[in-house]
Amino acid sequence: MRPAPAVALLAALAAAALLAHHLASVGVVALVLFAVCLRAPKERRRFYLIGTLVSAGALFVLTPFIETIGSHPIWTGPIVPVLGQLDVTHEELISAGINALRLASVGLAFAAYALLLDHDGLLQAVRFARPAALATRLMPTLERDAAGFVEALRGRGVELTGVRGRAVLLSPLLASALERGLNLAEAMEARGYGSTRRTSLPRPRWRAVDSAAVVLAAAIVTAGALWL
Amino acid sequence: MALARAERLTFAYPEARAPALRDVSLELEPGEVVAVLGPSGSGKSTLLRAFAGLVPHFHGGRFEGRVEVAGRDTRSVRPAELAGTVASVFQDPEEQIVLSLVIREIAFGLENVGTAPEEILSRAHEALAAVGSEHLADRAVAELSGGELQRVCLASAVALRPKLLLLDEPTSQLDPGSADAFIEHVAGLGIAVLVSDHRPRRILEHADRVVFLERGRVVLDTAVPAAKTWLGENRPAWLGAATNGRATVQAERVCRLDSVQFAYRAGLPVVDGVDLELHRGEIVVLVGANGTGKTTIAKLAAGLLTPDSGTADLRGRAGMLLQDPTRYSIRERADEEVAVGVHGDRARARKALGTLGLGGMEGRHPRDLSSGERERLALASVLVIDPDLLVLDEPTRGVDPQRKAELAQLLHAGSERRATLVVTHDEDFARAVADRSVLLGQETILV
Repeated sequence: MRPAPAVALLAALAAAALLAHHLASVGVVALVLFAVCLRAPKERRRFYLIGTLVSAGALFVLTPFIETIGSHPIWTGPIVPVLGQLDVTHEELISAGINALRLASVGLAFAAYALLLDHDGLLQAVRFARPAALATRLMPTLERDAAGFVEALRGRGVELTGVRGRAVLLSPLLASALERGLNLAEAMEARGYGSTRRTSLPRPRWRAVDSAAVVLAAAIVTAGALWL
Repeated sequence: MALARAERLTFAYPEARAPALRDVSLELEPGEVVAVLGPSGSGKSTLLRAFAGLVPHFHGGRFEGRVEVAGRDTRSVRPAELAGTVASVFQDPEEQIVLSLVIREIAFGLENVGTAPEEILSRAHEALAAVGSEHLADRAVAELSGGELQRVCLASAVALRPKLLLLDEPTSQLDPGSADAFIEHVAGLGIAVLVSDHRPRRILEHADRVVFLERGRVVLDTAVPAAKTWLGENRPAWLGAATNGRATVQAERVCRLDSVQFAYRAGLPVVDGVDLELHRGEIVVLVGANGTGKTTIAKLAAGLLTPDSGTADLRGRAGMLLQDPTRYSIRERADEEVAVGVHGDRARARKALGTLGLGGMEGRHPRDLSSGERERLALASVLVIDPDLLVLDEPTRGVDPQRKAELAQLLHAGSERRATLVVTHDEDFARAVADRSVLLGQETILV
């Protein structure tokens, strides 16, 4: 399958998760995307899966305390300044579940895009989006940079432990990304990027499976909006 | 008529205290191979960038004088429009790769310069074959070694069929065999080449002329035979070939790899059945072609990787210098960076910086240092922990011959306290430091 229809499918699944109203429907979409992500190599997918699941989990835990909907309280707590009375209702739990699964679906769709897709092919298909698509490759690059910093520290006998320990990498990672961006921009300019003479590598032929994927993507979004 | 010329070129980067180039005049004839030599920070990379139009277009700064390439004034033509006439390969291959598949990476430049679509793939394959890397065409760039990446970058440049090829340390990550093939190929292209390298012996065999820069000025511009005489008399370190010649006393064993196997991906071992012993007091150099697992063995010895099978026995503390010096920029001051490995002991850090010739740079940000200075900062960051096993992976990347000679002396001076394992493609440096060399072949180690 060409990368553009694959992106359409992933985007459709994420959109369906955002449009759907039933917990089970959003759950199924999230599960499908999770299964897709499992096709990526273990070492690489771990970072994305943990990030997505932790974010979704945090949203699930916090939402009931922030929302005030429903009339079937499961738990009633103390009154907290600014927030008011803390309580958790059945409706809030359902809403938190749906929102968490929506977030997970969007995160997993992005993870599948970053981990499994042929980005070069996508760049070729959507030329005007080259800078945006290059930007999405930032995550794997940051991942490699972080691993490089950790390895260099281990080579000096320093082990980073815990979230606080790893937080020291944030600033060098940002600086490294900026420096890399400048160097890459210079190399691209030297190789003619931005010139007016541009041509393009012939694209692979559009096949039936690509058409089917686009139709399926449209169907998923429609189903998400109308029935799920 | 000259293909390219610089006339009284003086250039200073924005906010720089001193110009990077001062009153440089130079002419390049079509088909001429010119070696640009000089210490770190002498302006070699800046000169190459001036001929690509990147100076001043990309970097800004103060530009005086004139640079012309193929009759076009670089001040009035954007670098992207010069691409195709000029092609560049920069020092760090990892920072010039744009796409994720090798064949598409090569095609990227061809697309930019308007190559006919039906020709793009054939020219990309042709360029890969020309640098001996046709087998890499469908590989992901993320899976390639540094040497393989360097060849992909050269192929990307060669594919453009430029009139002027600018090469900044093009063989720094290539094994000697590949570097020979690389330079022979470049010299045989029949195009003008301006090449800067800190391992000049190989370049001098193929160059027509040598330009030697110091503090931004051209101090020598002459044909190779006269240049060799001048270098021998005035800058002997640049002709290399110093040998170790010391007697070593081997003490206790510090590290032993026994039938070690390791694979990054199941079923594809990078090292298989490797045996290696390292003793206190000796400097062992690990050499071999690109992709034979030298870095992996070094990491196994230093304890950064754990073998899948076999045993890695390390007695004492290991310190390892990785290939990429940009990994040593966690802190915002050089002395704080070096002190990371010694619990923030800045006094020790300053001493280590002084030993590596970086005295006075304690307060500088690691990212503001030149590539050679960064390499030395990284080395100081490892040496400061005074390890029992010191592992250095390509420690002379971006380091000029004078500094290499000093590094060899430094390693010898402290060698009795530790075992030292050096992974390098730099034959002159290997000869200068090695008590013992280990040649890594396709599948086995030969001692």
